[in-house]
Amino acid sequence: MSDFDSPVDTPQPTSHRRTKKRSRYDDSEVSTPRDSSPDELADPRDHQQYRSSRQSVGQRDSAPRRRAHSSDGSLDELDDTYHERHERRRDHSNRSSPETPDSSHSSPRALSPPSYRSLKLNYRCKFKLKGHKKGVAQVRFSPDGRWIASCSADGTIKVWDAANGKHMRTLEGHLAGVSTIAWSSDSNTIASGSDDKTIRLWHRATGKAYPAPLTGHHNYVYSLAFSPKGNMLVSGSYDEAVFLWDLRQRRLMRSLPAHSDPVGGVDFIKDGTLVCSCSTDGLIRVWDTATGQCLRTLVHEDNPPVTTVRFSPNGRYILAFTLDSCVRLWDYVSGTVKKTYQGHINKKYSLGGAFGVHGSDGFIVAGSEDGDILFWDVKTKEVAQRVSKAHEGVVCWVDTTSGSDATIVSGGLDGTVKIWVNVPEDHESNDINGVRSEREDGIDADMVDVKIEEGDGYDDTPRDDRSLDGRIHDSPSSPVPDMMDED
Amino acid sequence: MNLSLVDPFVLAQDYPESTTGSLRSGHATCVRFNRKGDFLAAGRVDGTVVIFDVETNGVARKLKGHTRQVQSLSWSRDGRYLLTSSQDWKCNIWDLQDGSILRSVRFEAPIYIGELHPWNHFKFVVALYDDQPLVVDATDREAIKMTLPSAPKRTRYDEDEPISDKQAAQDAKQNTTVVVFTASGEHVLSGTNKGWLNIIEVATRTTLYSTKICTGVVIYLRLTSSGRDVVLNASDRVIRTIQLPNLTAADLDPDTIDMEVEHKFQDVVNRLSWNHVCFSSTGEYVTASTYNNHDIYIWERNHGSLVKILEGPKEEHGVVEWHPHRPLIAACGLETGRIHIWSIVPQQRWSALAPDFVEVEENVEYIEHEDEFDIHPQEEIHKRRLDLEDEDIDVLTVEPVKGSIVEEENPFRMPVQLDLMDSEGEEEFIAIGRGEMRRKSPTDGRDYTLEGDAAVGSGDDARKRTKKRR
Repeated sequence: MSDFDSPVDTPQPTSHRRTKKRSRYDDSEVSTPRDSSPDELADPRDHQQYRSSRQSVGQRDSAPRRRAHSSDGSLDELDDTYHERHERRRDHSNRSSPETPDSSHSSPRALSPPSYRSLKLNYRCKFKLKGHKKGVAQVRFSPDGRWIASCSADGTIKVWDAANGKHMRTLEGHLAGVSTIAWSSDSNTIASGSDDKTIRLWHRATGKAYPAPLTGHHNYVYSLAFSPKGNMLVSGSYDEAVFLWDLRQRRLMRSLPAHSDPVGGVDFIKDGTLVCSCSTDGLIRVWDTATGQCLRTLVHEDNPPVTTVRFSPNGRYILAFTLDSCVRLWDYVSGTVKKTYQGHINKKYSLGGAFGVHGSDGFIVAGSEDGDILFWDVKTKEVAQRVSKAHEGVVCWVDTTSGSDATIVSGGLDGTVKIWVNVPEDHESNDINGVRSEREDGIDADMVDVKIEEGDGYDDTPRDDRSLDGRIHDSPSSPVPDMMDED
Repeated sequence: MNLSLVDPFVLAQDYPESTTGSLRSGHATCVRFNRKGDFLAAGRVDGTVVIFDVETNGVARKLKGHTRQVQSLSWSRDGRYLLTSSQDWKCNIWDLQDGSILRSVRFEAPIYIGELHPWNHFKFVVALYDDQPLVVDATDREAIKMTLPSAPKRTRYDEDEPISDKQAAQDAKQNTTVVVFTASGEHVLSGTNKGWLNIIEVATRTTLYSTKICTGVVIYLRLTSSGRDVVLNASDRVIRTIQLPNLTAADLDPDTIDMEVEHKFQDVVNRLSWNHVCFSSTGEYVTASTYNNHDIYIWERNHGSLVKILEGPKEEHGVVEWHPHRPLIAACGLETGRIHIWSIVPQQRWSALAPDFVEVEENVEYIEHEDEFDIHPQEEIHKRRLDLEDEDIDVLTVEPVKGSIVEEENPFRMPVQLDLMDSEGEEEFIAIGRGEMRRKSPTDGRDYTLEGDAAVGSGDDARKRTKKRR
């Protein structure tokens, strides 16, 4: 952490990691709009906050249950912000940053060549899920699409029902912020990687952790992926190693001598034979799962730090997020970049996105450090939709369901998780670009509400979900009818 | 999907080279891979069946239900069901979805081998000690057992005359020692203790064809994955490969069936006998473990020549198994009960570690391109790069991989048990097993008796050895 005071414009591995963790709502921030600049987010004050938050996590263990009763349960509340009422847009024109290519801000239709039917998307926020005390690092749909898991710098993982946004579980046990989560293919197990250097496995239905966390990494665990069969887990860490774990025996199976810088992302291919990893050293490596051999290395000429990698749904390409504000689609067999997607801002944070399907077309969705969410047509590289001000501050992670007309979930440094659905345009009277600014008021009112909720009874101490359930039932004023819904 | 990246020279290597590891859970006596090759079932001396995950080399499941040593294993086609036969005279069909016993069938005699029907996981054949082989249909809880004939089919020439007493007495001595379903499941191949190979039609339970293939006991029969070839191990120290006729042909005339031995593999110098034989994944190779010897032999079938003698741990091996699509062989050590693995040791290609590395045979003189070191403004390079990305790409459609197993509608995937903890001590069997196995020799048969198991202890030597080796 010695490079803390270095100029933040040059992407430093440590600074981008640390700032990602942080999204603590201190009192000063509650009363001010949360569109703070990225530079401000990286200031040294943050370091202290991060430290102190760690300490508070430690203290929490001493008196965990006592505070549970003071909670009114509002933290896990969901806001039904369906459709246009809460479509948010604030100072859109002013906020387009100079380094963003201007193409992304124009209408998608204007860009499209006349021969190609351009992909048009109209995602609208359906639910806003609140509960995390700090920034949400990752959100992931379960493979069956029924659940959403989100992990946060506050050290917790929350499981939500994807259909109605209900909070199902809070998984607590990590001693530091949780940077990454992954679902097993049967949607019954969640793995989480934390700054406490451990990986924990959780049973989704009961919310209980399996005994004996996976230990072995010497530094923060930063990325995880399950093998498709669910028998292996790959983890990437700040200790520059990529580990393959045998999950049944909780045993380190193979250590891949991966990189010379912190590993930002890892992923499994759909048939489980390949693993890819990426690092801030700018390399993307492809590994043979069975032998542990490195089979391919991908490097872009400019060598930008790579923070996240994902295999395409068919396993032919690798999507890589780099800190030069680009998302690149690599053909890993030929070792060439096939597409470069631009328009978002990604200079410091490990942003993550996903592939989605609309009709028969594929799109890529990712967040931006200015709070936007962007959708790109895979083939034309055009921005199919840009949701302005989707979150207050950085949109850290976006995930999609696998089916056609995918549902989207996003998590941001503002500590909220949002579920987005595509609303066909003919169902709406308004054009996409036409009337959005008129809806600003609603948003602001909504944000005030959030602040009030955070002000009183903002509490996330460990507690039994059942007791929470009972409390909710007793309280007639609670807007949420039933938060505990055992599957 | 890794095939496009793997070194083609590695892919071209189709038989293993050296020992690469071993698996251990108790004292294993028999092993069998499932069709996909991701799991290896191992039957143990104590009757427990252990399913190993081939990818992680860890235990995926333990099946407890037998009380005596497991004799043979057979997977269903989809890998969900496993037939185990044991020296407790029982066959169990396990459902690996939850590890439960789906059916348990008890027989009146010890079981040599049980083999599942290739398409119906409720149906199997068993060869019994001193008894007729049975086709068992366990669709209902009460299993239906149907006897198959052991006596060879007499030619028409013989049928004209009444069967002599001597012949009848000979036929009565015929005992089936090994049975296996053909690929279609409509026929059963069986081998007898007098060296006959029979083809039996399951529907009518009549012998279609018989041939005297060798003089000794037929110890083991195994088909290739395509079902077109069979390998036969016999007590006369010769391994034979035979091409099967197309038994499903509509105009099949049983009298025109002719089966000829394609290759005979043997060691004429050392006069080795073979404990167990197996085809390679494609059927191009045959491998065998040797009696009273540590080596694993591999022959190829084009010319019938020996290609490799695998050396490994200093231990005699019993059951040997070839992985269904990789150059990987697993064999059970008789002494330690360890499952030894032979495979190819991967070599890291250093050219994979950086994109601009190329492995060249000899020095290449570098010739500069015309515009290679021209200086262009960054923006122009960037723009040019982006303009090049006009290729039409598809991130969604999965291209079928040639040669891989076509996935069924709902492929079975065994649930991963994360709470499976190896609580019991596996080591207890080492001492017992080692002590016993050291004393064991081919002529004294079983040197350990389990109470109430005396019936197995008698009988002629060859038969006992057959049983033991399997």
